[in-house]
Amino acid sequence: MKTQKLELVCPAGTPAALRAAVDAGADTVYCGFRDATNARNFPGLNFSRDELASGIDYAKAHGAQVLVALNTYPEAGNPAPWHQAVEDAADLGAHALIMADIGLLAYAAEKRPDTRRHLSVQASASNPAAINYYQETFDVKRVVLPRVLTVPEIKALNQEIDVETEVFVFGGLCVMAEGRCSLSSYATGQSPNINGVCSPASHVRYEDKGNKMVSKLGDFTINQFSQSEAAGYPTLCKGRFVTQDKASYLFEDPTSLNAAEFLPDLMEAGVTALKIEGRQRGKAYIAQVVAAFRKAADAAANNQPIPPLGLENITEGQRETTGAYNKRWQ
Amino acid sequence: MSQAPKGPVAPLSPVLLAGLAVRPLPHQLLQPLLTTAIKQMQRQHPDVFERLTSVNSPRFLIDPVDLPFSFVMDTQPDHPSLELVKSDQNELEFHVRASVRGPLVLLIELLEGKIDGDALFFSRDLVIEGDTEAVLALRNAVDGADIQVHNDLLSLFGPLSKPVDLAAQVAGKLFNRFTRDLHILSSATLAPLQRKCDAQSAAIEDLEETVTALKKQLRRRSGKTT
Amino acid sequence: MNAHLNLGPVLFNWSADTFRDFYFRMADEAPLETVFLGEVVCSKREPFFAPELPAIAERLTAAGKKVVFSTLALVMTKRERDMVQQLCEMDGVIVEANDISAVSYLQGRPHTIGPFVNIYNEGSLAVMEKQGATHISLPGELPRSSLQALAKTAKADLEVQAFGRQPLAVSARCYHARSHGLAKDSCQYVCAKDPDGMDLDTLDGDAFLAVNGIQTMSYTCANLIGELDDLQTIGIHHFRLSPHSCDMVDVTKTFEAVLKGQMETGEAVEKLNDLMDGLPFSNGYYYGQEGAKAKGMVEEFGL
Repeated sequence: MKTQKLELVCPAGTPAALRAAVDAGADTVYCGFRDATNARNFPGLNFSRDELASGIDYAKAHGAQVLVALNTYPEAGNPAPWHQAVEDAADLGAHALIMADIGLLAYAAEKRPDTRRHLSVQASASNPAAINYYQETFDVKRVVLPRVLTVPEIKALNQEIDVETEVFVFGGLCVMAEGRCSLSSYATGQSPNINGVCSPASHVRYEDKGNKMVSKLGDFTINQFSQSEAAGYPTLCKGRFVTQDKASYLFEDPTSLNAAEFLPDLMEAGVTALKIEGRQRGKAYIAQVVAAFRKAADAAANNQPIPPLGLENITEGQRETTGAYNKRWQ
Repeated sequence: MSQAPKGPVAPLSPVLLAGLAVRPLPHQLLQPLLTTAIKQMQRQHPDVFERLTSVNSPRFLIDPVDLPFSFVMDTQPDHPSLELVKSDQNELEFHVRASVRGPLVLLIELLEGKIDGDALFFSRDLVIEGDTEAVLALRNAVDGADIQVHNDLLSLFGPLSKPVDLAAQVAGKLFNRFTRDLHILSSATLAPLQRKCDAQSAAIEDLEETVTALKKQLRRRSGKTT
Repeated sequence: MNAHLNLGPVLFNWSADTFRDFYFRMADEAPLETVFLGEVVCSKREPFFAPELPAIAERLTAAGKKVVFSTLALVMTKRERDMVQQLCEMDGVIVEANDISAVSYLQGRPHTIGPFVNIYNEGSLAVMEKQGATHISLPGELPRSSLQALAKTAKADLEVQAFGRQPLAVSARCYHARSHGLAKDSCQYVCAKDPDGMDLDTLDGDAFLAVNGIQTMSYTCANLIGELDDLQTIGIHHFRLSPHSCDMVDVTKTFEAVLKGQMETGEAVEKLNDLMDGLPFSNGYYYGQEGAKAKGMVEEFGL
């Protein structure tokens, strides 16, 4: 089965970014509230209730939809902020809620059955039995696939499930199974699952050591750069470490995912939606990436070759990878 | 005060202004301008300051390294302020949570959202000290506010707006040179910020290698590394 | 005593002989209640020791220990899916689910939930209990406050890992293979070289993490021996000891002695330190801090 048109799902960390994404051709925009209920709980980012309301209005007026990410794991003894977020997002007219926690899915399915439920990548559902479980138990309509599957695996998966699939095509790449990684909390005490942050800026330090710049996360050195190198953000799994007396980017090189070349294959594999990562990125970035992928997705839908994306200025200094979509990545 | 300009005003627009007006505009004239700008910013874009409450409304030192002075910005949502300070003043007196140093042109890009959160730290020309989280919050907050420095200056000082005071009139005349000057600034100031003594660096490097080796040895001795 | 010492599955790639000898000895000598058995990390390792499992299970059962079979944490390929499904559909065994596919196969009959399934709150706990979970081993990063809140509403037995390197992440990539310049498909089983995981240091030579195939673990060894009383006060009575190549019988006996009030905690920490040959201890997660930190009784044995 071949999808006729690929839905473009775009990130927004602020109302300005939401408008930029919609203007650039996003079919849907995903965003989160300004608290620990979502996995991009970065300082100064995200939406108040009022901002979400106007954002949804803006999107709808332009034929787009808004998805609300509630994809952290509610704190034991303190479910209220997450439950309230489900209620508010549903009241404000969110097209769907993106969730990972089983308890929160159960709550949403029971209390707000009419608002669509999507399974977040943070649930890391990587096989048909797991995906079917979420569909049968919580009536999930779409699953965001973990960034660990190859294209043939995605195709095989789509033949065994009855829900829509959404896959990441551009942006920062998690190399660990999402929602199952405590590396950040091991070094900083702050985790994606609990606090909605990974390698948080509050624990980042740069030390200028004259001949080199050292980036640290908590007490640990994540990388170092010579004077001529640009100093990267110390995301733990993109750091340089030593094993067997060799320094290397053991987990992942500081690359950024770009799966544009796979769009026809992903369509062929039965994927419904393409997701762009980056709610923490600026609106200029979002406008440019969304516009490029709009063109690419439309070309794929019309069986035309994928045009050059022209995103070199954005990925400058960073290598690109097609990630797990290519088996060699493993 | 005259009518408010149409577009949002960047809290740091005066930084740019000062960059252009550094010689003709004395401190006494610049400070009221800064105050006007930040007040307008507060009125038109309260969300910028509201976003910063999540990190307890920090004070920032903004230091354009190519200018002889810096700015202290207080982001209290009720009474934000932007204060001109001399670069040679003792920084401890400013009680800032974080400082951002860099060539003026980069600070403007940061302000306009052209440098995004992930890229903020990639540039060696932008030096962030103190609370990294606060600076990231500042970037995210201003990015959410659709700030365009060009347009802000136009609306504040351009021919269609009424000049807010004498200082603005002087500054407004300088505005026509804006684009050209910015270009000159950008090519002139992207040199590395700090030059280091190579010999000293090499010595430090040697020492660090020794320490690294010693740490490893220490663990081997206690038999943990196979 | 109302406290239970359980042995988690061996997370490392040990030879079949080592594996069998280890379990036989644990069956005969260690004061354990439940023993979790099976490959959790990498499906490629399983065929080597699988033939030993029936004899091991029998020996453990004969010694009065309850045996639970643990499933894979990351299930991707068809072969892995089949492996998990077959295990879950076996009659007469209790299975620990370490991913949601296993949960889906096991619902409707008594089973246990492993630490690789995200149970962070009462909502998900209730769903699992309703589906038949009777024993839940909680994720390692949960702080005391969460453990306490969960224990307040739990009907199932709740367990925390009290000893051993902490599992921190799993990936589609094998970092052991990558470190040796090999692909996952042709890994030559290099993970077998490191019976307790391969050290990963920072660029300045500080110990940081440990690599175990596709799994990333803490360099430090989790140690909640100083928190056993407090854990029981808040309603956690099951303690998981995660196997290492050291003398695990002695480790188990040390925990038992503290639980029975026969050994001072300070002395026990010293003893565990000797047994682990000085590997630093940590318990920061329990205190809502960095997982790498060591607080309380183990503070001076930290990184």
